[in-house]
Amino acid sequence: MTANTLVNSKLVCVALNDKAQLAALDATFNEAPYKKPPTQPVLYYKPRNTWSVDGAEVEWAKDFDGNDVAEMVAGASLGVVIGKETCRVSAEEALDYVGGYTIVSDFSLPEASYYRPDIKGKCLDTSAPVGPEIVAADKIAAPDALTVTLSVNGEQKSVFELANMERSVAELISIISRIMTLQPGEIIAVGFAGDRVAVTKGDKVEASIEGVGTLNNTLGGA
Amino acid sequence: MRHARIIFDGRELDIDIDANDRITTTEGEVLDVALDSDQITWLPPVKAPGTIFALGINYADHATELAFEPPKEPLIFIKHANTLTGHKQVSYRPDNIDYQHYECELVAVIGKSGKNIKREDALDYVAGYTVCNDFAIRDYLENYYRPNLRVKSRDSLLPMGPWIVDTADIPDANALKLTTTVNGKLTQDGTTKDMIFDVPFVIEYLSKIMTLNPGDMICTGTPHGIVDCQPGDTIVCTIEDVCSLETRMVSEQEYYGDKY
Repeated sequence: MTANTLVNSKLVCVALNDKAQLAALDATFNEAPYKKPPTQPVLYYKPRNTWSVDGAEVEWAKDFDGNDVAEMVAGASLGVVIGKETCRVSAEEALDYVGGYTIVSDFSLPEASYYRPDIKGKCLDTSAPVGPEIVAADKIAAPDALTVTLSVNGEQKSVFELANMERSVAELISIISRIMTLQPGEIIAVGFAGDRVAVTKGDKVEASIEGVGTLNNTLGGA
Repeated sequence: MRHARIIFDGRELDIDIDANDRITTTEGEVLDVALDSDQITWLPPVKAPGTIFALGINYADHATELAFEPPKEPLIFIKHANTLTGHKQVSYRPDNIDYQHYECELVAVIGKSGKNIKREDALDYVAGYTVCNDFAIRDYLENYYRPNLRVKSRDSLLPMGPWIVDTADIPDANALKLTTTVNGKLTQDGTTKDMIFDVPFVIEYLSKIMTLNPGDMICTGTPHGIVDCQPGDTIVCTIEDVCSLETRMVSEQEYYGDKY
């Protein structure tokens, strides 16, 4: 565990919140094992062993035989940092509970399936850098108007306008706060570009949001 | 020895309980109170809860009951401390649902950090065992990261305790009778012998993926015999030689009060 992580107690990530990705997978999601498209936000946790910081190296994952895995992918999201206890709030009042914003990178194995919790793919040590800092909520007038970019070795690979999210920041806070009471410092990664970016050992990955900052990390294993 | 966290006489205390049910605080103070006294408020027994791993479909018979094939590798999902509550506390039933059931489970509490832990060494990393009730709401199941957070991450729906029994005091965690009663009536009667993936297997499996840390917990799944529970019901989950965990169900409105 990284001692100076910006996360307090919980990092909730929202998968499948890119409208274009949902549209592209619509036929798949009408077949087994899914049978119908999701009716609720698709959520997963990055547990505490994954939390890391700006500038840190991300471990290259091993398979069950102890060999380096062939492929890893990266995604980046706006991180919404809860400012005060958030229990059953409406979407209209949800942004009042935000303390600040940051960036969450999610390194994982490729998202092969969404059917079962992806412990093997998502729970890798050091795979969730968060940072570089927390920008106060009053500095960001409209979080859903932000754009998240991801570059690898200086080349831009992904651009995700949050206006293209299936559910807005406020809607997500409201829905999640009706499942679980959120505490100050807990973070929600509200949405990733549907196409995760393939990375290789030693890659320098830069996740950036104008007004929030740039989160730099390097893949290990090189 | 058993270990718990309680509120007694207005103080939050870490306690040890010996074979004669004598309670001593970790500072060495002997408490003159019986274990079943209403003067004790039981807290979740892990002082600094970390990642909670829970297994689904991990008993052969339960798998049959739910019309699933037994899995070839463990189905594991994650929960956090917002779900925890203690012995003799309340859990809530959401409004407008048809089926919420208990899941009586043996819990292994991780006592030291490790990665790539071999099965034969796994119990060295277990501080002790306790009991949890990993409630589920079947109405909310969707086929995305199933069982999804809406089913399994709700406030108060993971009662745990009352205490942790040292690993050394449970020579075989897979030979324990497991029972649940609802309002005094036996509804679940199984044994940890029927567990598909045991604690050492799961520790080896998880620690190939990630580092396990002290305060992490592994909830090992439940056998057949699940029934719907309603506000007002008292549910008691018992695992032989470990402990009995009592929970009272309340409505969503009663649980959230002013925040409802």
